[in-house]
Amino acid sequence: MNPKLFLKFVSVSFQKQVTYRFDCFVGIVNGFLYVFIFTSLWKALYSQFDTTVHNGYTLTAIVTYAVMVMAVRISFTMDDSIIYRKVMDGSIAMELVRPTSFFFMNLAENVGNSLFHMMARTAPIVIISIFLFDISIPFEVIRFLLFIVSCVAGYILVSMMNFIVGLFAFWFIEIFPFLLFKYAFYTFFSGGIVPIDFFPEFLKPLVKLLPFQYMLYFPTTILIGRASLAEAQSIITAQLIWIVIMGVICSFMWGAGKKKLIIQGG
Amino acid sequence: MQQNNIAIKVNGLSKNFDISESGKGFSGKLKALFHRKRKIITAVDGIDFEIKRGEFVGYVGENGAGKSTTIKMLTGILVPTSGSAEVNGIIPFKERKKNAAKIGVVFGQRTQLWWDLPVRESFDLLRVIFRVSQSDFNSQMKKLDQVLDLNSLMSMPVRKLSLGQRMRCDIAASLVHNPPVLFLDEPTIGLDVLAKESIRNFLAEINREEGTTIILTTHDMNDIEHLCKRLIILEDGKIVYDGETELLKQKFVHEKVLEVEFHDDGNVIQGIPGVTVIREQGCKKWLTFDNDNYGIGEVIGTIASRYKIKDISVNEPSVESIIRNIYNNRVTLAMPSEKSPTK
Repeated sequence: MNPKLFLKFVSVSFQKQVTYRFDCFVGIVNGFLYVFIFTSLWKALYSQFDTTVHNGYTLTAIVTYAVMVMAVRISFTMDDSIIYRKVMDGSIAMELVRPTSFFFMNLAENVGNSLFHMMARTAPIVIISIFLFDISIPFEVIRFLLFIVSCVAGYILVSMMNFIVGLFAFWFIEIFPFLLFKYAFYTFFSGGIVPIDFFPEFLKPLVKLLPFQYMLYFPTTILIGRASLAEAQSIITAQLIWIVIMGVICSFMWGAGKKKLIIQGG
Repeated sequence: MQQNNIAIKVNGLSKNFDISESGKGFSGKLKALFHRKRKIITAVDGIDFEIKRGEFVGYVGENGAGKSTTIKMLTGILVPTSGSAEVNGIIPFKERKKNAAKIGVVFGQRTQLWWDLPVRESFDLLRVIFRVSQSDFNSQMKKLDQVLDLNSLMSMPVRKLSLGQRMRCDIAASLVHNPPVLFLDEPTIGLDVLAKESIRNFLAEINREEGTTIILTTHDMNDIEHLCKRLIILEDGKIVYDGETELLKQKFVHEKVLEVEFHDDGNVIQGIPGVTVIREQGCKKWLTFDNDNYGIGEVIGTIASRYKIKDISVNEPSVESIIRNIYNNRVTLAMPSEKSPTK
């Protein structure tokens, strides 16, 4: 797909978000509340024990994780019911008569959405948190660059996951239950609440088989220094493999879904 | 070479929809939780046709006859259940994007403009989408502006346009890339007479000047009579007529309609040879009679001699009335030979 067109659509989607300023303000409060709750919980938990390191995390490390994973998660905000709504109101028809890839248009829309959340929500939340909490991040340019690359890969995975679940709308009239299910899997198994290191032993083999940990957990571990630079590279490689796997699923689902599509109303 | 002359080719094209039904009321919905009745609806049922470059074809039928479904298959939105279709030599549902680059589409009930953006920006996006060079784009927009008067609308956000204004913009939007084939699905729906008129003139012009092949779906028979030389009529997913619009009229000219206003509404019209009542409204009745076998004077004479008449007029059948008759199954589209030659 034409990169110029992609950027155009990113900007259209970004501009659309700007019109909802009140949403944004609520979003900052809501995001910060999450950060505050999680950091408070960790502090309370850690104060109950004599040992200062749990599963390899000191209190500072776990607070840093909690803030940063939230920052990544908020930046990854996208509208997961967008395909569903386009199928329901039939506007998907107008997109299909254009010589553009539905997947990439959808991705561009998500990116615009996310860029807005990154600027309007993530940035203020991170800045406030740096002043309020004890946060420590190793300062290495290469590490930061690897973190960015890993985030982009993680973002593509989240977008693909939403695309796949969104396509369920081609088969089912109501996809809200699927979205809820996805939300639960995504927030928990991606390490969005608790780092994977804290998971019970019996869950760990399952988590390893799923792509979710590559969405939030691994990019965050690169940033906060839990992953070495060598590990960061193998994390990114694994992410690329998952992008290929999920990409195949996306295109398979798209091919099968097209045959099922019904356009409502006219 | 021969192939080049053909814009659209459709063979045995069919589309089934799989619809699951839930029953009525609470108990029906409860049952549907465990067991769904599946129902297969055939929207388009094995149609064939061929449209040559430069043709202006009316594609009509009742609601649910399968018009829009056909258009959606030809534009690559829907995948047919069986059969084949080619538009500009491209199979739309196999190469959707390639096909999309060479067609223009207007769905009257939807817009392809961006709701929140000013019209100008929507056009600019379409320019990038269809990879039109800036100079081609400028000259095309100039041309479109002359007929559709777009300049005054350019800075308005799309959501603030009136229906007529939006339709003008949408039609222009479908032509940004100057496509050889244009699909119009009810482009005049909900428009006032003047707006309809200007859009009609414009369509006739691009068909004439640019040689654009146009397939028009509409419920407005005036559109058809003014624009479409050829007419395809669809009923229950099957083609029931495919031929010249004029020919359809001629075929039915052997039926004329009499509009008679009687003095009182109690009259029962019967026993007049060759005459049937098709509609009644108070003292007014519409009668048809077989124009080939009975003279008009003879019929009027008989009616006048039996009933008290206030007013009477003879109507040529319009395409609309012919099609209405087809929809009502009053007329089966008979081959000309069925007309009984002697009596």
